[in-house]
Amino acid sequence: MPADLPTADEPDRPDRPDGPVRQPPQPPPAAVMGLLNYITATSMDEDYAHVSRREGSRGNGRPGAPGRVALIVLAAFGILVATAALQTSRSADATRTSHDELVKQVLARKAQLADRRELVDGLTSEVRTLETESLDATVDGRAVQSRLDDVGVITGAEAARGPGVRIEVDDGPEEDAKAEVLDVDLQKMVNGLWLAGAEGISINGQRVTNLTAVRLASASITVNFARISPPYTVLAIGDPDTLASRFVETPGGQWWLDLQALYGVKFEIDSSEENLTLPAADRLELRYAHIPDDPESLP
Amino acid sequence: MIAGLGLVLGVLLGLILQPSVPVWLQPYLPIAVVAALDAVFGALRAFLDGIFDDKVFVVSFVSNVLIAGMIVYLGDQLGVGGQLSTGVIVVLGIRIFSNVAAIRRHLFHA
Repeated sequence: MPADLPTADEPDRPDRPDGPVRQPPQPPPAAVMGLLNYITATSMDEDYAHVSRREGSRGNGRPGAPGRVALIVLAAFGILVATAALQTSRSADATRTSHDELVKQVLARKAQLADRRELVDGLTSEVRTLETESLDATVDGRAVQSRLDDVGVITGAEAARGPGVRIEVDDGPEEDAKAEVLDVDLQKMVNGLWLAGAEGISINGQRVTNLTAVRLASASITVNFARISPPYTVLAIGDPDTLASRFVETPGGQWWLDLQALYGVKFEIDSSEENLTLPAADRLELRYAHIPDDPESLP
Repeated sequence: MIAGLGLVLGVLLGLILQPSVPVWLQPYLPIAVVAALDAVFGALRAFLDGIFDDKVFVVSFVSNVLIAGMIVYLGDQLGVGGQLSTGVIVVLGIRIFSNVAAIRRHLFHA
């Protein structure tokens, strides 16, 4: 709405001189001015001017000087301002206190969690010690123990030691985004190593078991849900004479030779390792699979 | 003179007494302060214009504070409290700015 429409004191239009023309009443300025213009134009209460005109015409009073009432109102204003300021600073304190309190709680719970983890680790090793002790006591027990050890090495529940290959891989030149080692590459490598006859594999100290997933999670690769970062060291226990050469023949090995040739990804095989040690897997819990009650009924 | 005295007196009273604000009134306190600020600056401008009047000041002060609080209360009930507060602050802010500009013209003749 334009602000320069006719105002109340504009004279009648000269193009209609004949007879008493019924002029529509002029709209109030609030109706014809833009809202913001109106607010700016009437920023001071109109009542001051109004009262001043009335008092002036009556010729009494002494306008312009604040009296006792103004003092009281201004005192009220001062109290209002002081109270609001105090209130704001007080609630800021309260906010900060509750924030600090929450942080403290989080830290306490974290410490508690760490304690409990330590307790779990201690109890686990105690259980293993007791298990070994009681199994070692009898001949049958020793047989069970040796079977447990074999199965443990196969499943990754036990640490494994033996000859094998060490493969060092790393991202290629930094400016080439395609030269980055991806989860797919490590998956192909692990599958190639199994195919080449590896009996145990670890990636950056994480044992690869039949429950292990190698996957990309938010820009970093995780193995056994643990985050690992380049360079990657893959250890594989197997026949030291054939493991490396057979691995290179597998699709996984071919894939890595291609990566090395095309993108300059670092890929080094060291097959002279006599004594590799693979750590045990952190967790091997089966939630759903169990031994059938009646093995004879299997098809 | 008397106005400055009142203001200082009020601030001192507020700081000394530290009145506690009931919880239901707390959201309206800041907006009441802004509305009161508008009334005070309007009064100062009227004073410099030589048309100040006690009664008008009292009425404008009280009605400003009450209406601002009521608008925000209404907005809270309708679920647009935040937006209405913003609207009230914008309007009062514009008024304060233009009043201060007029005061500045009076004081510095610029």
